[in-house]
Amino acid sequence: MNLVRAELLKIRTTNTWWIFALISLPLWALTLLINWLQADALTSNAVTDLSSEQAAQFEAAASPDALSSNLFTTGQFFGLLIVMLLGIIVVTSEFFHQTVTTTFLTTPHRTAVMSAKLAAASVLALLFWLVTTAFNLIAGAAVLNAVGVGSQLGNDAAWRAIGLNLLAYLLWAVFGVGIGVLIRSQIGATVTGILLYLGGSIGAIVVISILAARWGDWINNLQLLVPSLASSLMVTGADIPGNPPRWAGAVVLIGYAVITGLVGTLLMRRRDIS
Amino acid sequence: MTDGQRSPTSDGQIVVSGLTKQYKNVRAVNNLSFTVAPGRVTGFLGPNGAGKTTTLRMLLNLVTPTAGTATISGHRYADLADPLRHVGAILEASSAHKGRTGINHLRVICAAAGLPKQRADEALALVGLTPAAKRKFKGYSLGMKQRLGIAAAMLGDPRVLILDEPANGLDPEGIRWMRGFLKNLAHEGRTVLVSSHLLSEMQLLADDVVIIAAGQLIRQGPVDQVLGSMAQGARVRVRTPQTEALTAALKAQSATVDTDEQGVMLVGGVDAPTIGRAALAAGVELHELTTERPDLERVFLELTAGKAGIR
Ligand SMILES: Nc1ncnc2c1ncn2[C@@H]1O[C@H](COP(=O)(O)OP(=O)(O)OP(=O)(O)O)[C@@H](O)[C@H]1O
Ligand SMILES: [Mg+2]
Repeated sequence: MNLVRAELLKIRTTNTWWIFALISLPLWALTLLINWLQADALTSNAVTDLSSEQAAQFEAAASPDALSSNLFTTGQFFGLLIVMLLGIIVVTSEFFHQTVTTTFLTTPHRTAVMSAKLAAASVLALLFWLVTTAFNLIAGAAVLNAVGVGSQLGNDAAWRAIGLNLLAYLLWAVFGVGIGVLIRSQIGATVTGILLYLGGSIGAIVVISILAARWGDWINNLQLLVPSLASSLMVTGADIPGNPPRWAGAVVLIGYAVITGLVGTLLMRRRDIS
Repeated sequence: MTDGQRSPTSDGQIVVSGLTKQYKNVRAVNNLSFTVAPGRVTGFLGPNGAGKTTTLRMLLNLVTPTAGTATISGHRYADLADPLRHVGAILEASSAHKGRTGINHLRVICAAAGLPKQRADEALALVGLTPAAKRKFKGYSLGMKQRLGIAAAMLGDPRVLILDEPANGLDPEGIRWMRGFLKNLAHEGRTVLVSSHLLSEMQLLADDVVIIAAGQLIRQGPVDQVLGSMAQGARVRVRTPQTEALTAALKAQSATVDTDEQGVMLVGGVDAPTIGRAALAAGVELHELTTERPDLERVFLELTAGKAGIR
């Protein structure tokens, strides 16, 4: 417990947390705007000439369940990125600022230090989720009222999405810590993390759709293995026809978090600090 | 350790035994063994790349030895119940977060070690850094950074201190302060192991020395003993206008005489009174007669000569 407190104190006593908060705010506002426009478009019934499969997808996306899930998890796309970067920094700043020597002198049990870092990153993720969700409940309900489907504050599917959103935040924070251990360089780890998150998902979508055209539709299920796609699948409100089930996304993401967390801890236990 | 067999001196004693570290291309430390006693300042000396830092890092569980052990008070560092209360360390390539204030740097350590928060203020006061407590680390001068490191090492009021080049970046006043500080800690019965290149400083500071080169032990023991063990022993510096006459007189006493370009004679094998008497008997005028004790620097250079420094 002392160690987790110390890790949180490390973050509180630097600029990191409020810089990240400052970056997050406009990004959140941007996604809110996009989600609003999307909800507006989906509910205005302007789209025609759909094949039956497209129509089914459209209907699923326009359902109150899907709309509210989407709005109440606003900011997720960038939020997960930010939380992952925080996780990375919790580790790499120790190498960047050469404080790791002091940290391991203070606590020679490296597993305990790494556990504390994982816990501290999770606490940050939780706080991040709490604040974002509070914003979302207010702004989201307003948008839903505006597009005429009611606030949906009692919608079970929406609350499930909010809960899964928390899970996603926690897992990405853990994931970030793992990346930080694997790539100690602050810049290297940050760039890799961002590429994995942004470029990785876009690239993967392109590659997978090309492969799917060549080898058949089942390849589409592979997008599950891309962490960012798995997490967005996990929090999509309704099971959209043609996509893999959402629990599969959760399983994949948990798998990644556990593996990077464990591998990171094991690596740190053996590494020479010089 | 309840059997009552533990000798009182094992508390605070550092024992390095057969320690070896093989990096990919270089054997940084090679089967090194030595002990460090409490209540004394022990200087840990060696040329660049001798393996001092690597040894200290193995002692502190930061680097895993390829072979051998290093213990403090009979325990490996990782097995100490309360490491910060037992051992304080300052290592090179160790620093603080640039954007964190000095006091917060210490508070983080206190939080992790379960030490009360006010220890941070006390330690800062101890090194005279209180005025800069709330300034960020990136604004610290080299000497202030070094002092913050000392403050961090003293947080747990440890009985063993391990310092890697602590005098780096300190001004003369700072170096003198550090000397008094470390001597005082040793005087209180603590163990002080300090690595350095500053041999003249070490001669003033250390009670014992451990000299290594190329990862291997060259000599260990009390400073006087190591100095005295050198073949050359003390020499006497003599200046006279009649160099040749005095040289002849001294050679008759089977002394060795070296004369440099300025005409200063370095005489070995006889002591100063003997030279004075010989000069008087030969009617030679003397301008200087000084006994030169072999200093640590000369002994060090002689002992480590030919041992590859940087590998
Ligand atoms: N992490 C590492 N990987 C590979 N080689 C290393 C590593 N750390 C040290 N060495 C090598 O080990 C040898 C001993 O280095 P060390 O830093 O222990 O010397 P030192 O006695 O502290 O030198 P200095 O007086 O310059 O500080 C050097 O040859 C160095 O190049
Ligand atoms: Mg060194």
